[in-house]
Amino acid sequence: MNNNSDFTEFSKQSPKGILVIYISLLYKTLKVSWILLFLFLRKFSELSNQKLFYIFMAIGVFLLFLLVRAYLDYKNFQFKIENNHFVLKQGILKKTNTSISFDRIQNINFKQNIIQQLINVYEVSVETAGSKDTEIAIKALPFDKAQALKEQMSVKAMTAESSIIEEEKNPFLIINFKELLKVSLTENHLQSLLIFIALLFGIYQQLSDAFDGLGRKEDFDSYLDIESNAMYGSIIVFLILFVLLFIVALVSSFVRILLFHFNLTVFIKNESFEINQGLLTKKSIILKKEKVQSITVSTNPIKKKLGISFVTFKQAVSGKVNEKKNKLIRLVGCQYHQVLQIKELLFDFQSVENSEKYNSNTYFKSRMYFRSFLGLLIFNSILMVVLQNANWLWFNLILFPLVILLIRLKFKKTFYSFDDEVLLIGKGRIETHIIYLPFFKVQNIKMKQTLFQQRKDVVDIILQTASGKIKIPCIEKERATQIYNYTVYKVEKSTELWM
Amino acid sequence: MESFKNIEILDLPDITSLTFKKIHRDYLKVLLGSVCLITLVVIVALFVVNYNFQEVLPDFISYVYLGLFLVFILIILFIWIGFSRRKFSIREKDISYKSGVLIKKTTTVPFSRVQHVELDEAPISRLFKLASISVFTAGDSSDDLVIKGIKKTEALKIKEFISEKINE
Repeated sequence: MNNNSDFTEFSKQSPKGILVIYISLLYKTLKVSWILLFLFLRKFSELSNQKLFYIFMAIGVFLLFLLVRAYLDYKNFQFKIENNHFVLKQGILKKTNTSISFDRIQNINFKQNIIQQLINVYEVSVETAGSKDTEIAIKALPFDKAQALKEQMSVKAMTAESSIIEEEKNPFLIINFKELLKVSLTENHLQSLLIFIALLFGIYQQLSDAFDGLGRKEDFDSYLDIESNAMYGSIIVFLILFVLLFIVALVSSFVRILLFHFNLTVFIKNESFEINQGLLTKKSIILKKEKVQSITVSTNPIKKKLGISFVTFKQAVSGKVNEKKNKLIRLVGCQYHQVLQIKELLFDFQSVENSEKYNSNTYFKSRMYFRSFLGLLIFNSILMVVLQNANWLWFNLILFPLVILLIRLKFKKTFYSFDDEVLLIGKGRIETHIIYLPFFKVQNIKMKQTLFQQRKDVVDIILQTASGKIKIPCIEKERATQIYNYTVYKVEKSTELWM
Repeated sequence: MESFKNIEILDLPDITSLTFKKIHRDYLKVLLGSVCLITLVVIVALFVVNYNFQEVLPDFISYVYLGLFLVFILIILFIWIGFSRRKFSIREKDISYKSGVLIKKTTTVPFSRVQHVELDEAPISRLFKLASISVFTAGDSSDDLVIKGIKKTEALKIKEFISEKINE
């Protein structure tokens, strides 16, 4: 073994790590102080030379301070492997010494953000079962060293994973740029638009707060007011706005897909998936079969035309961590046979897909109608009070049919079916989601019945897994009880690892 | 589907035929007591405000009192009805809990999925030697099972029983 992969002595990260730490520190400070910087740039011309000099001095000193801090961070970050434990020393003033036993390590993931990509180092994060505090990230390691570290930790811990280092086989799924473009067309554009607007709104809020602090909120608002007043009321403008929004939605869908799923490559090895993706931050995730709690296969009309569907894996979440997003692993643009292969690897699904589908009770539809119309009524009354005129009421002519259509679609797409091992749950409005949940993955099961439901003798079933809830709404109580009993029976009988 | 029904008839443990046990009677006193305590605090606060700012207060202050009284009655009623519906049951391999007035809920947690059990004693409950049992499963399970108002001796036994089952 060469010196590179010897971890018995304390070793540091690659010296390039200083740069990585430095930039991440810079980024953090910039994130909290960009408003200040923005204001500074606006006032730039008004400041006297002397003041400018001081300000630049201060910034210079601060940058230097961060550099020193990054260096010390690097210098004090040391790790080694000692009798099946990963030992980590870190901290400049407050020294901490962490030691993790190999059998508590769940996953070792590689990651590369844009800086790490440029200087060609990898971030190695060690995921442990349990609390978030024990999650560890080594910011900068050259590839061979990172691989060696992973090898040593996983060989000792999980023999099953040892072959991960074996030469890359043919990828199971690879999505190139052109396909990604296609995929992004089929996205839920409304959602993309909302995310984009939320982002904008966040920036607006911050800016307006900043102006507010200077007592110049009126300037800012009046500037926006002029713009919006000029537009108000014209239908052509509405149309243009609509088209514009549509384009924005498309573009933001595309950007979102590109950022997260760029160069998506999936390998299947030893009953686990290795997933690489990302543009600015490259991520490499290893997903073990038993950690998958449920999968969701999603399609919509456009996706069907293109013959692709999305597969979402739900992984067990460790602790009450607010990191659900990271635990959701989505494969975009799977072809039909690839979906089949994924399902085959995870569980036996043939019989469940052929077994009878049951719909929710019609009470489910009535409940949705009732709730939506109540909501619309309240919405209308509030608008009436606020606007004090009735010119906008025609809007309901579009809204009501839309709501009715969506409810009908939702009711049609909500179904469940089951066989001995797997529960199948369908949902969705425009998109069609089909959830595959093996019975033994359930952690607790709940039956819920409101007074109204009692009259119709229907109940909701809520299945709680290690990755979240799955609900079957409004099914007949008798069948619900059967499912309830059977699930409990299955869970109690199973001896398989469920997470 | 056919095989499903077969198992169901033969040896599936049935949740509906389970005999549920009510929680301890004293817990009703705890519930009512704490509601009364909170109401008392609110009323005292209102009185103090009323006394000090008599001129400024609007005329409808008496309606506020009336409203408060109605809410109080309603809460007491809910607790009363809800109390007799709080039931639990422990089988060889799982623990179940039923509750709810407007929304009836039944939850079952198999022991094989339990991560840990907790026994808590709230201040007022302690006066009556009552405790609550919480059962936690892994992951992001926001609402696992909690049974409040069991005699502490019994709760200890249950906790012991479940702990043993987990370690099996």
